[in-house]
This record gives sequence, structure tokens and C-alpha cells, in this order.
Amino acid sequence: MVKIQVVLFLMGLLLVAVNPVHGADEHHHHHHQMPGMSMDDTGMVMGNNKSTLPDDCKEITGEYEINVQAGTSYTKSYMSTMFGYSEHEWRVEPCSRITVNFKNEDDVRHQWMLHGLPKYLYDRGMFHMEASGGHAQTGVFIVPSDNKTYLVHCDIAQHMEKGMKAQLIVGSGSGDLWSIPGVSADFERPSGIVFKNPVFVVLLVGLVFMVVFVLGFRFFRI
Amino acid sequence: MSRLLRVLLLLILVLAFVVLLPWQWYPREWRVWYADNFGASGFRQQAETIPATVSENVEEACPPDIRGWRKSQSIAGVDIAASPNCLADNPHAVAAFVKGTNNVGHMTLMDARLSPDAVVKGRDLDGDGDPDEIHIRLEVFELNGASPDLDVPVTQYSIAPGVTPGLWVFAPKSAGMSTENFESLLAQPGLRLPSPAIRVEQGDKVIVTLENTHYMPHTIHFHGVDHPFMTANGGGNDGVPVASEKPVMPGKQRSYEMQPRQTGTMFYHCHVEVQAHVLMGLNGLFVVEENRPNNWVQTFNIGDGFVRHSSVAVKEKYDREYDLHYLDLDKELGEKIQQSNDPRIVTQLINRDYNISQADFEYYTLNGRSFPYTARDSLIVTAPDELVKLRVVNGGSEGVALHTHGHKVTITHYDGVEHPKPSRITRDVVWIASAQRVDLELSTENDGLHSYGEGVWLLHDHQERGVTTNGFGPGGNVSAIVYERYLQDDGWPMTFGMSWNNYLTSGFYQRQDDGSGVTPLLPGVEKSGPSVLRLVILTALAGLFVGLVAGWLWRVRPRG
Ligand SMILES: [Cu+2]
Ligand SMILES: [Cu+2]
Repeated sequence: MVKIQVVLFLMGLLLVAVNPVHGADEHHHHHHQMPGMSMDDTGMVMGNNKSTLPDDCKEITGEYEINVQAGTSYTKSYMSTMFGYSEHEWRVEPCSRITVNFKNEDDVRHQWMLHGLPKYLYDRGMFHMEASGGHAQTGVFIVPSDNKTYLVHCDIAQHMEKGMKAQLIVGSGSGDLWSIPGVSADFERPSGIVFKNPVFVVLLVGLVFMVVFVLGFRFFRI
Repeated sequence: MSRLLRVLLLLILVLAFVVLLPWQWYPREWRVWYADNFGASGFRQQAETIPATVSENVEEACPPDIRGWRKSQSIAGVDIAASPNCLADNPHAVAAFVKGTNNVGHMTLMDARLSPDAVVKGRDLDGDGDPDEIHIRLEVFELNGASPDLDVPVTQYSIAPGVTPGLWVFAPKSAGMSTENFESLLAQPGLRLPSPAIRVEQGDKVIVTLENTHYMPHTIHFHGVDHPFMTANGGGNDGVPVASEKPVMPGKQRSYEMQPRQTGTMFYHCHVEVQAHVLMGLNGLFVVEENRPNNWVQTFNIGDGFVRHSSVAVKEKYDREYDLHYLDLDKELGEKIQQSNDPRIVTQLINRDYNISQADFEYYTLNGRSFPYTARDSLIVTAPDELVKLRVVNGGSEGVALHTHGHKVTITHYDGVEHPKPSRITRDVVWIASAQRVDLELSTENDGLHSYGEGVWLLHDHQERGVTTNGFGPGGNVSAIVYERYLQDDGWPMTFGMSWNNYLTSGFYQRQDDGSGVTPLLPGVEKSGPSVLRLVILTALAGLFVGLVAGWLWRVRPRG
């Protein structure tokens, strides 16, 4: 039961973030330098797109500039995190163009990576910025017309888990993502002897049901 | 009901209870008395043996080399030897490590998934045709860590089928994602256990920068490598928080400096809370190669094992070179990082809750894997009449009694220091204490001493727990010395014994909640013992008896 929850959640996450889920070995063949890609000692930008409209947009309807900082100093309000962004949620209108100025204030790499964009326009549906320690990157991308919540995160091991997770809400969005600092709660991980073992769950639920049933039964008989 | 009938009924109940009570529950004398007077109980047929079933979930022994990483190739002007094992190191990364990430093209870096400043090779200070200024950048990665959203470990790395202990490793500074891709939870191939072997040349001006990408503080201590206690500008350089410097906090970095005057097989490891950090995987080989002209050394050997671009000095004497990293892991320590997503709680669990003096070690790895995964990338492949160099380190907490089937090896160096030739020892069990290194010379001359001929000869720790995983064998650090004639085209060894299919299933190395190793893969017989039905009948009889007696007493008394 608990496993099913996890699987459902995983599927949900994939559906939210990645429209069509393609074969997992797709990444083996991305060797060619993509348009909209740059890389040097200060980091890289992938999926940079200033002018190509998504198929469902007639024109650019909004213009946004996001200034975001990253680092360990942005965790003060979220005690159980270690890495963070200066903001963890942004709202934009559909079909708008977004310029992201990403400043890394730590001495190690961080990323501002957005998933779930159309794959015909963005390599693997991704707009990805990586800034080396102390460096900044700027990138531009255009979002499609649908109301959708996009996952923004840093994919260095444990950085998303420990706080580097945010969401970009386009239009009315498609619901909050889990465990965004300051926005949403952590997904409840099953823990303890009862929830690790389905038998205990059944016994517990059965017992509680019976007690309540008997109480109710007696109450109405009086 | 008449009184007589009632008493009779009670008697029948008592009799039934006595007969149904399993015989083994009675005192021994009673059983003897019964057997003497009435004979033994009748023969009872035992349950049938359940035939062993072959699991449908057998993993592919040797995944196909779709990226063409195994073949010999030349990338960015670097000659990279063919890798005989099933899983080969990424040749683009090998090329970048040899030339320096600052001297290879964008495409090579992308394929290597490395940052342009991971290994910066600078000027040739002694004018002998190779760079002598080396700036290495290391990051720290957590494998099989916790996630607030999932009940499974993330940035996954399996040491054996279905075995994913929590790990911390050093890795060269990479670029991009830590996972294979966004849809995957698996760590990209450059991030793995063990922390990779590092190679520099004697006399190189080396800077190692630790970029702490992890949520815990760490340092690097260069064990056995010639390095000053302080850096040129007075910073701590020995990596020891209680003696030389404060640890490097998350998101921060520090550079260590050295210009090693002596050669040899050395060691590096984190020195923060060593009883946990070292054994989480933060330790690796550090090799100082002899200075030679045009000696472009392979700065990192990811996952250790076969060295695809050996140094000039090694090639002078040896046909092949292998790095062997032994590490034992405590399952309970690895679980600490999976129990919470809060760095404060993880710190508490690691620093204050974990008690290594009460620990036992469940996993025994060679180059970050346990059997049968060792056969994918840690076979010692050789051919007749070769000399093979093995650089061995024990990064774990227990000794390793390394046994070579079919061969006697010669110990040429202890802890990086050459042992005088006349007093060298040739033997088939080599003891390697914690943090010790030995350089071994494996000769494949078929003289009945150094080698007994071609074959698939096991190579393993002869302390028997070392050949188990979670207490199940075969597992642990079992690998083999395999002659090319006994190697299949895909790099998997030809074996003539039992099928390995059971070992290639994720259930084989799992224990049940009760600690037993019962798996549906194995033949077994039904448990014999008092049946549940019998227990229920006995309980019902006892209840009926008590009820009848109570009812009888309750009825009789008011009348009397
Ligand atoms: Cu980050
Ligand atoms: Cu450490």
C-alpha cells in the first residue's frame, strides 16, 4: 500500500515534470553541441532560447526577469535544509519570455535547472544553468501556453533533497510540488513498525473500526 | 442434561485436550512412560521438498558495451588501451585526465561529464615534455542518500544486485547532473565507489582543491604523500580538524599543496569524524609515479581497476597495471544517512549515535563492488608470461588476507617504499592491515611457483567473512585472475561450475525481517512444528472446558 503510494507519487512527478517520458538511454546520444548551449570555467547554459516560440504561442505575451541567488546562506528560514535559493517560487503568464540571472554565492557548483519544457524546442525538455563557485550565469527561455507548474532544482547529489528545489508557476499552474522550502510540506515517508508492515496496518485499522462500530452500535441502542 | 452426561462430556474434553497436545510439550519422563506402555507414535511422512525455482528477475550478467568504451582508441591524441573487462572506464574521461581538462575540446569534456577545471595541467617546469603543475578539483557526492519525497535511495549505486548502502565518495569535479538523466535515479557512471585513484608524477607541483558539494563538513588528509604541514600562505595542509585546520564546510572550498619528493603507492582520505567518514567511502589510492620524460599520467582512475594509460615507468617493467581498493562497509552506518533528510539529525546519528566499537561489517567490496559485480569490472585479466603490477590498498577497518588462487605473488613495495630485492617475499596470502598499501608483482610464467598455468583463478580475502555479502556467500570481494583464453568476447569469464543466476537477483543478498535468509530462490522444506489449526482447536477445547465448568458451578450454587 505504501509502495503503491510511492509509485503513484513517482509517476505523478514524472507526469508533471516531463511530458512524454522517453527511453532512458536517450542521454547516450547528446554529443553534438546544441544550439543555445555555452560552457566554460564559469559554468554552462543549456536550452538558451531568446526568440523561438513554442508551437502553441502566437506571440510573446509577457516579459519577466528573475534574479536568483544560490548558496548555503539561503537556508536560515528552513532549518532542515543545507542548500537553497533566494526564492523558491516564481509566477509568470503563459507564453512569456523569462530571463534568469543566476548568481552562485557558494564556493562550489550549483544549478538552476528547469524540467518539463517541450522536447521539440529544448534538448530533453530542459533549460539548465550551472554556475561555478562565485560565478553568475544568465539565460533566457520561453514557456508554452499551458497552465503548468515546472520543477526547478539543482541536480548535484543531495542538493535538491537538502533544499535546492523550487517551482515556476505558469498561468494558474498545475498544483504545488512537494517539499519546496516555504511552499509545501515534505512528502510523508512511511516510517515506524506499523507503516513498514502492511499486516500491522490492517490489524490497526481493523481494531479501530471494530471499537468505533461497537461504540456506535451501543449508542444507537440506548 | 443429567449430571452423569455433563461429567462425561467434561472427561471427553479433557481426554481430547491431552491427546491433541503435541507430544514434545510433555515432560520427557511422561513421553518415555507412554512409549514403554503404548509404543512410539506412528511414522509421519515429512513434507515434500519444494523444488528450486529459477527466478525470472535475473539481471544481465554483462550489459552490452553500446557506447564502445571497451575497445582501444585514441582520443584527443591520447592512446587508450583496450579494457578487457565487461564494463570499461569512460575513454573520454581517461583522455581528459591524461591531457588535462583544460587541454581537451568541448566534446570530450561533455562526453566525460567533467568540469573544464577538474584537472588543470600547467607548465612543464623541468623541460622533460610533460606538465608539472597539476591542479586537481575534487567534489563530494552522496550515493544512495535520503529524499524527502521517495521511499527509495536517490543517486543510486548498487555494490551488488539490490544492495544500496549509503555512501560518500570523492570524485573529480563534474559538470551537469549527478544522475544518468532526469528520468533516472541512478548515479552517472563517473560517480561511484571507491573514491578514485589519483596519480601524479614525482616532483609535480600539485594543488588539490576540495570543493565541498556535500551537506557535511569534510577535509582531505594525504596519507603517506610527502606534503608540508602548512601551505605557503600558512593555511592548514594536513587535513586534520583536531590538529591543523577547521573542516571545509558545505558550499566552501580549500586547497592543499604538495610537491612529493618520494614515489610510491599512497592513500588519501577525509579526516573528519574518521570512524564514520573514512568508512562511508571517503578514501582512495594516491600514486606518486617516477619522473620520466614525456610522462603524461592518468590523473584519475575512476572506479580503480585496470589502468588504461599507465605511466612510462610502469610500462618499462610491466605488461599491465591494476589498482585494487578493498573496503568493508557497515550496513548500519550506511543506513544512518537514509533515516533522515535533516542534516542536523544525520549529524547526530553519525557523530553521536553510531558506535563503531559495537559494529559489525556486512559488505566487503573490491573497487566498490561485491561479487558477482566484481566480475564486471575488477577481473585481473592477463596472458601467459606477463608481469602484472597490482597496487593494493585496504581502505577498510579490518585486515585483508588476500589470496591468489593458482599464483604466488611477490611483494615489491610496502606503503609505497620499495622492499630490497634479496629479501622480497613471494607468497599466496598477503596480509594488508587497515590503510596499508602493498605493490604486488604477479608473474604469469607457468613454472609451478609463480603460476600454475592458464585458467580462471579466484582472487579473494581469505578471512571467510570477506567472501560474503550480508552474511551470504558467494559475495564480498571475490574476484579472479582470468587468462585471456578464458575470457568471453564481452569480457565475462568462462566458468565451468555452478550457474551464477541466483547471485544476479536482488533477493539473494537480502535478509528477512526476522534475520533469516529464506528466499524463494532456494530449495527448502516446509517448516514442521505444531500447526496453527491444532493450536486453535486446543484453545477452543480449553475455552469450552472452562466455560462449561464455570456455567455448571454458577448454576449449582444458588440451588445448593
Ligand atoms: Cu547545488
Ligand atoms: Cu568527511
